[in-house]
Amino acid sequence: MKKTVDVSIPLGPMHPCWKEPVRLKCETAGERVLHTEVELGYMKKGIERIMRGRPWQEVMFLAERVCGICSVVHNMVFIETMEEISDIAVPPRAAYLRVVANELDRIASHLIANFSYCYTIEHETLAMYLLNTRERVLDNLERITGSRINTAYMIPGGVRFDLLPEDAAVMLADLAKVEDELKRYVRIFETGPLIGLRSKGIGFMSREDAIRAHTVGPTARASGVEDCDLRLRHPTYQALDFKQITRTEGDNFARVMVRFQEVFQSIDLIRKCVDTLPDGPIRGGGLCRAGEASYAGEAPRGELTYTIKTDEYGRVVDIAIRTPSIMNIEACAHYMVVDATSIADVTSTFISSDPCIACNER
Amino acid sequence: MRSIVYYVREFLRPEWLKKFFFVKTAPLVTPPYFKGYPTRTEKECTGCFTCMMICPAPDAIAVLRRKEQWEPEVYPGHCIRCGLCVEACPEGVLSSGRVLELAGRDATAFWHSYHLEVDESLCMRCGNCCVACPINRQIDPRLAATGTSTSDDVIMRVKGGRVQILHEEKCTGCKTCETQCPSGAMRVARMVEGVQFLDEVGS
Repeated sequence: MKKTVDVSIPLGPMHPCWKEPVRLKCETAGERVLHTEVELGYMKKGIERIMRGRPWQEVMFLAERVCGICSVVHNMVFIETMEEISDIAVPPRAAYLRVVANELDRIASHLIANFSYCYTIEHETLAMYLLNTRERVLDNLERITGSRINTAYMIPGGVRFDLLPEDAAVMLADLAKVEDELKRYVRIFETGPLIGLRSKGIGFMSREDAIRAHTVGPTARASGVEDCDLRLRHPTYQALDFKQITRTEGDNFARVMVRFQEVFQSIDLIRKCVDTLPDGPIRGGGLCRAGEASYAGEAPRGELTYTIKTDEYGRVVDIAIRTPSIMNIEACAHYMVVDATSIADVTSTFISSDPCIACNER
Repeated sequence: MRSIVYYVREFLRPEWLKKFFFVKTAPLVTPPYFKGYPTRTEKECTGCFTCMMICPAPDAIAVLRRKEQWEPEVYPGHCIRCGLCVEACPEGVLSSGRVLELAGRDATAFWHSYHLEVDESLCMRCGNCCVACPINRQIDPRLAATGTSTSDDVIMRVKGGRVQILHEEKCTGCKTCETQCPSGAMRVARMVEGVQFLDEVGS
């Protein structure tokens, strides 16, 4: 049967719900969405081109400027790729401190993702609560690394600063407060009738569709895809007995709840790291050498891959970055928002997949 | 009904009521651990250019000779406040947040070495690189404007219609030659390694 398109509704590139510019072209029949197309390309930075020919200490800073929300993991994956190329070993203390910084960044990223979702479904109170809680997390990231966003905490063979005992104590106390606050917010989110009506059963994507669309990160895990968290293969996380969180509902509610659950898991991981922090150096040294490697790490949104080729003086000759959001955005356009009951659900469904346009367009 | 109970409970929370009635603006105090722009300490700069070498931002820091002494000057418009210059400076001339204090406490530093390359296909033999190099000028103050020199001690000189690299080990990696080269023929490879002096940490 031929589909009748009533009207084509463009959402974006500037939209109050979206943090960054992207355009969704929705073809609708009444309130039903028949087909959606994503249009990217409004903020291309050409950062990979700028990286080429530069030494690692310059590329390190460019890598974390790919994205302002998950900057720590960009730094971490770039540095771990350089370490793989050059066979540089990381001291255990530094490996644990990397996990602490990465998990703090993950908490901040998940909180801003859930803030955006709550803001999109017009629950501004909860959104502002989450943003307020995120500040506490960023303060701790600043306490450890000296910066809130672009931390530049990791270097090949270690980290830049040690964790002082007094900072660790303040951080753990703050994280306990964050946990208490979040428990209350999660209860509001889980049981609030407004949120339930706008979230549960909306933007459904089945496990098969999630696999077919190659979704990654919390978006895939909310649809019940197993073994899709790369932290399971990271040696430091394996030592911390990490298990991934999966839900089976596959709707907006599940995606937001996976992020909430991961925040609690991250807090537990940080506690474990601080409790079992090994003694020893924080830098092992080691020069970056010629080679080529591809390495993937788990960013807050999913799998992040760096493919790097270096010359004998440690300069980056060629680099390619594959960021997680691009597959999630495509999955959103093809599976989640199609047959959405209302055009108002398109924005919230799109935001529930946590799209990061800065990462995609770099 | 449940939602009304939720909202009433939310609004009557003591913490929220306290914040509502005794509202206070957060003090605009920079925390001590925040990495700001690098500032000078009391120590004297020796003009080793290590800060310029490590700096990832173009033109963010320059070490200038002023009144018989070296002085690192930070350009805030270019500085990205990474604190690497503070950590790399062997004399502790610069400070930013707690970076200097932590680097001293943990005995962390950056070890570095350099390699100079001239792309013969791009080089115009103008001698700008040889003249601009601050170390070259220290070694041979009578360096000609075309980059020719009679001294064998200089890092590089123009001889026989091409740029000769003589003493790569004297290079401090300040990249002045690279920035002054009009055709982009000069390349300075800076090999940097983050190290920690274990004896001083005691582990």
